[in-house]
Amino acid sequence: MVLLIMLVALPLLFILLQAVFPHFSAGKLDGAFSAIPALLKAPQLPAMFSGTLQIAIGVALLSAVIGLPLGVARGLFDMPCPKLWDLLFLIPFLTPPYIAALSWMLVLQTQGYLMQLTGLDLNNLLFSKTGIVLVMTLNIFPVVYFAVSRSLLASGQRLAMVARVHGATPWKAFYHITLPLLSPALAAGMLLAFTLAVEEYGVPAALGTRSGVVMLTVGIEEKLADWPIDLPGASMLSVVLIVIALGGWWLQRKLTGDKDVTSVSGKPTEHVGARLGFVAVPVVLVMAAIGFLAVVLPGLSMAITGFSATLSGGLSLANLTVKHFVALFAQSGDALSALGTSLSLALAAAVITGLLGLCAAWLVVMQKIRGRGVMDALSLMPAALPGVVIGVGLILLWNRAFWPVSPYNTWAILLISYCCLLLPWPVRYISSAMRQLGGNLEPAARVHGASAFQALRWVVLPLIFPAMLAAMLMVFAIASRELVTSLLLSPAGTQTVAVFIWRQFEQGSVGQGMAMATLTLITGLALMLTALGIMQRGTKG
Amino acid sequence: MKALLSVKKGVALAMVLSSMMMSSAHALTVYTAGPGSLAKSLASGFEQKTGVKVNIFQATTGKVMARLEAEQANPQADILISASWDTAEDLHNRGWLLPFHSANADKVPDTLKSADFIAQGISALGIVWNTQSGTPEPKEWQDLTSADFKDKVTTPDPALSGASLDLLIGLQNGMGDKAWQLFDALKQNGMVVSGPNAQAVTPVMQGAKAAVFGAVDYVTYGNIAQGESLKVIFPASGTVIAPRPMMILKTTQHADDAKAFVDYVLSPEGQKMVADAWLMPARTDVQAKRPLFTELKVLPTQSGGTSERGDVLKRFNSLFAK
Repeated sequence: MVLLIMLVALPLLFILLQAVFPHFSAGKLDGAFSAIPALLKAPQLPAMFSGTLQIAIGVALLSAVIGLPLGVARGLFDMPCPKLWDLLFLIPFLTPPYIAALSWMLVLQTQGYLMQLTGLDLNNLLFSKTGIVLVMTLNIFPVVYFAVSRSLLASGQRLAMVARVHGATPWKAFYHITLPLLSPALAAGMLLAFTLAVEEYGVPAALGTRSGVVMLTVGIEEKLADWPIDLPGASMLSVVLIVIALGGWWLQRKLTGDKDVTSVSGKPTEHVGARLGFVAVPVVLVMAAIGFLAVVLPGLSMAITGFSATLSGGLSLANLTVKHFVALFAQSGDALSALGTSLSLALAAAVITGLLGLCAAWLVVMQKIRGRGVMDALSLMPAALPGVVIGVGLILLWNRAFWPVSPYNTWAILLISYCCLLLPWPVRYISSAMRQLGGNLEPAARVHGASAFQALRWVVLPLIFPAMLAAMLMVFAIASRELVTSLLLSPAGTQTVAVFIWRQFEQGSVGQGMAMATLTLITGLALMLTALGIMQRGTKG
Repeated sequence: MKALLSVKKGVALAMVLSSMMMSSAHALTVYTAGPGSLAKSLASGFEQKTGVKVNIFQATTGKVMARLEAEQANPQADILISASWDTAEDLHNRGWLLPFHSANADKVPDTLKSADFIAQGISALGIVWNTQSGTPEPKEWQDLTSADFKDKVTTPDPALSGASLDLLIGLQNGMGDKAWQLFDALKQNGMVVSGPNAQAVTPVMQGAKAAVFGAVDYVTYGNIAQGESLKVIFPASGTVIAPRPMMILKTTQHADDAKAFVDYVLSPEGQKMVADAWLMPARTDVQAKRPLFTELKVLPTQSGGTSERGDVLKRFNSLFAK
């Protein structure tokens, strides 16, 4: 709880103070609330508000449309090579959204790769509200996929089987038993998708300006991007953003919050997926098609650009080069040290948020401590905050003369910001897994003399471990490529991968940026594969 | 139990942190917008010469200024190099800057220096044109309104790029209301506003668009050196230049090192590095690899403070909003 307050509540408080007191950053408290009239007068506010809301709802719904069937297919049936699909759908998280957006631009815009190959020009689709929703969904839908499939894998099919035994048709059993069981996970996944879309900056920044779509994050960034910097205005907009995100959270609680579904009763279940039979081929084809769209196409675009000598050279053998990759290793180790920094920070963030998320979820869901609503909200809040707000909040908080030691201006501030930003993931995944545990499991352990901690360690943890692992992998993936807070908080002299790539783009070296993105994607993937392999060997049985 | 765990973690964290804090003391901290490779070579050159370590925070002007602003309570930067002259004037008015006259400043023209800030280098805005786009080479801003360039022009977002906003102001100062007719005609011809500078140039490289209306030149010169089929064109009717102010902050704990760094950047050696980054050097006696601003017609961008900037931006935004 103390950590949670340090990580989340304090930076938030400082943003709020900045929003209320325009001169707060200078340490003065005059002119309270003077930023509010300016906010209400801003002509762009309604457009930003509705733009954000429309896109976020679109992304949440579309993510459910894609993620639910895929997650059900993965969770209920014996898909060929199940691990492969999980891995495939983790990749969108390894790709920074702005790079995905840029990759899509290189593919779809006029004279892009698609047009060079097939003559098809989808420029107008890409630069539209639909285009933004599509690109964002392809990045975000895996949260629903993972929430749904993990929940199905954890709960098994016992109850649906019972229904089948009593004469229900497969559809009926699915509709009346499985779907309701899924609803907390689905709602949690959609909420995450919604909040992710609300706080997303890269995609709307890359595609939105050209299609006249504005979102709050872009507005906030704009206030911080040109002189004079409007810190109070940016803080104000952040508060609006937080309100939207809290609205989504409230709605989700309203719909599913108090429904606890018991599906893991403690009796050992062996997960046997139902046979797919004759539909196996189409199901696999659909999954492969989605995977191709979400992963392979942008990845290819990235790699092609990384291997192209010049962009204006287009797709041709003569334009093929490895010079961008060679340059990565040549820049006096800059690129490699950035890679090292990012990967170790991501690993640390995954471990810390995993443990912290476990504690928070356990206290909220199982111990039902007082003030759990506040704790739940606190642990979700960062998901609604754009990175840049957390960044500014952390500077406001930590760069004060009164702290005896401060993480500011060291790599630790990056770690703190990642933990703060990504904490919602483990909390959501673990608590939705915990909600499915039978209410008598933990008490049973306690009756038999286990301490609360022992019960957690030996009963609860093994049961929710798959969800926790999935969440930690996601934290790792996202932290390894986080851009916005890194840009603001990286101490002088330290670079992360995303910052490195961003700088390359800024300086017009698209090829080099894409080469680095490709290298990072492959390294991250290899590391995650290794980690998965080791952990699964360790937890067999 | 939980509380105990958090305390332990907190203590461990604090110990790690304090050990790191000590090692990072005693170095010069430079916040800089613009080419990272330039910042790095300047830093390592200075380090070799004086033995003083230089930590660089490099980002866009907006990010640098946001960080500076948020750090007001406990400033970290010793030196600031911005890409926008305005920021220096504003900080000067706030009294944040340390007056300093470098011995090497004598070779810098008077318009590019003041009592407490001085140009590091200069970039200019021009038309960036893809030579393989099948369009006739544009010579003037107006050429981009012709039918050849229908739906083929992009421009950086002046809300995100101070230099781009300078161009709007310069054109307004030079052409009066005709400037707004020009912007209107560009809009009619399908010009789109993209993010910051690089985002406007990338579609032109790939051929999605044929030209950028008002891009920062040095990035494109770098691209051309890499083999991209681009050309930078400065219209004879005039364009604007963007000098990059360099300044020492009053709050610095290392004033002498900071002054030595400014001296070094303005030395022939430092200015050569500036020129190698495809910028115009601030000193008139250092060779550049590209046209100098003395060869361009420069439009005045001096304006009566931030309100006019805001008005121009607002008018431009409402023109391109729908």
